[in-house]
Amino acid sequence: MKCEGIPASGGIGIGAAVLVAEPDLGYGNVVFSGVAAEKARLAGAVAAFTAETTAMAEELRSQVGDTQAEILSGQVMMVSDPYMTSQMNAAIENGVCAEAAVDSVCGMYVELFSSMEDELMRQRALDVEDMRRRLLSILLGRPRAELKRIPPGSVLVARDFTPSMTVGLRRENVAAIVTESGGITSHSAILARTMSLPAVLSVPNIMDLLSGGETLVVDGSSGSVLINPDDETLRNYRALQGEALARQADLLRFRTRPTHTADGETVSLCCNITSPRDVPNVLEHTGEGVGLFRTEFLFMNRSTPPSEEEQFRIYQDAARQLEGREIIIRTLDIGGDKDIACLDTEPEENPFLGFRAIRYCLSRPDLFKTQLSAILRASAYGSIRILLPFVSCLDEVRSARVMLEETKCRLADEGVAFNRDIPLGVMVETPAAVFLADKLAREVDFFSIGTNDLTQYTLAADRGNSKVSYLCSYFQPALLRAIHMAASQAKRAGILVGMCGEAAGDPLMTPLLLAFGLDEFSVSPTAVLPIRQAISRWTREEARALADQVMGLSTADEVRTCLKANVR
Amino acid sequence: MVSEQLTVVNKAGFHMRPANLFVQTMLKFQSNITIVFNGREIDGKSIMNVMAACMKQGAEIEIRCEGPDEVEMLRTAVDLVRSGLGEE
Repeated sequence: MKCEGIPASGGIGIGAAVLVAEPDLGYGNVVFSGVAAEKARLAGAVAAFTAETTAMAEELRSQVGDTQAEILSGQVMMVSDPYMTSQMNAAIENGVCAEAAVDSVCGMYVELFSSMEDELMRQRALDVEDMRRRLLSILLGRPRAELKRIPPGSVLVARDFTPSMTVGLRRENVAAIVTESGGITSHSAILARTMSLPAVLSVPNIMDLLSGGETLVVDGSSGSVLINPDDETLRNYRALQGEALARQADLLRFRTRPTHTADGETVSLCCNITSPRDVPNVLEHTGEGVGLFRTEFLFMNRSTPPSEEEQFRIYQDAARQLEGREIIIRTLDIGGDKDIACLDTEPEENPFLGFRAIRYCLSRPDLFKTQLSAILRASAYGSIRILLPFVSCLDEVRSARVMLEETKCRLADEGVAFNRDIPLGVMVETPAAVFLADKLAREVDFFSIGTNDLTQYTLAADRGNSKVSYLCSYFQPALLRAIHMAASQAKRAGILVGMCGEAAGDPLMTPLLLAFGLDEFSVSPTAVLPIRQAISRWTREEARALADQVMGLSTADEVRTCLKANVR
Repeated sequence: MVSEQLTVVNKAGFHMRPANLFVQTMLKFQSNITIVFNGREIDGKSIMNVMAACMKQGAEIEIRCEGPDEVEMLRTAVDLVRSGLGEE
């Protein structure tokens, strides 16, 4: 049987399922034994919690390092807070048992912290939740599963893991991690990646499907979990596992290295995000910044567009978490396949050739200036650049610049801090932008080549239509020529050129892009290490020699075959 | 009662670590300490209270101390916030 979840940490793990079940924390049967007695029970539980957590923090520090340990020291500080304890005691004075007091007071803080906009503060909600569960398990005398004594070759399966659950875990005994909930930024995911364990998260009903002891194959790269596979499948996976382990070990060496070519030229390697919540994952994968923040997601699934203040806080949050690293914010890119309910756009016969992105924004100065103003204000807190999507003529750039300057004047009049020299760039994703690249390059500060849209517009093939998907390949010679043209014009004008489409994350493409003079690659976080490795294997000179050969080829198949034959 | 108005300067504001440093330092004094932020009164000896207030860089706050060692306490609190709460 095969299940699918979120691939959260790469590699293949094979072993026997060990279910890590949470004890039942229901306290419906607990009888209130008087104010004094309940207060004493609470004080006892808090003392036990403090002693246990302090010891765990020490153990974790020697095991996986300071960051995980700090989460636990933080819990000790919180539980010793006289204010919170007094809230719990007040609840007891109202006639409830210690369990109910812990549950309600912790529950209140969980809600409070999880509603905050700041990512780091939201993480505190998980800490308080962990604290709630552990205090309850102490009060109820129902201890949690002991992970210290699991046998070698265990695949740990739980609803979700918290730092406190994994204390004492022996890395060498664990083959992989599987959970029923939690995303790629959860504690489980971070833990798995710090310990380099394959992990698949959010597998529906996995706790119910297993009873423990089953043979599991966990593929942390594709996100699949196989339950009791047949012998042949198992053999195949063991072979794959061997290869993957060797590759993984090689990749990890690139975590601490700067991104440069074999001849020492530095290239910027950033990530694409859709929310500040993605930033921890970027940093976790050693991304050097954000090359594309897609802001349309802020406008989705809501009835009114986000206010300037709300957008400002979101951009500021992302910028702050990046601590000075570069962040390119793309202005609203709606239309095409992205329909946005709060912006009453009319249905169009041909949305991909219609009223989308910059075209729409220029017709809505109120909306566009609100976003520009929010981005400008956030520019006081980080290294922010503005990127205009879907540009096809110079008038669009000029109109956008006028609105940007008007917004700057207004902010300056109001005495608001912002970066007056904020760089303005354009996406090169229409053939028109490619043909006009020389003119565009003189009026903007940088280019970002969006290969996904550029492919479908250059080949005139809908990427969502499976009948024409054979055309939608970035190995198409027509597309390579388009990329080459745009990059060359950027180089000639002396402006920076980056790429944020899927082609940037494919190591086969790396030598071509280096040859074209790309300054920045923006990829998904999991592609950072493979691309850094690929970049390190080519000098610009060698890459140019291969590019000369490739650019002389006639078909996508020839291009792919040639690049594969030359992969390093 | 003594009080002073000031601005939070460190990047992360009253985050877990800075908040803890602040609270642990304040607990050494006998006086009571209240932080007024956005019209709300926050107990400066409670880490949960301080963190929940979400005071970030640029936040305008007022610190009030009241008790036998209020002057010394206020000076310590103000110095701590102005120096960036142990962070940059």
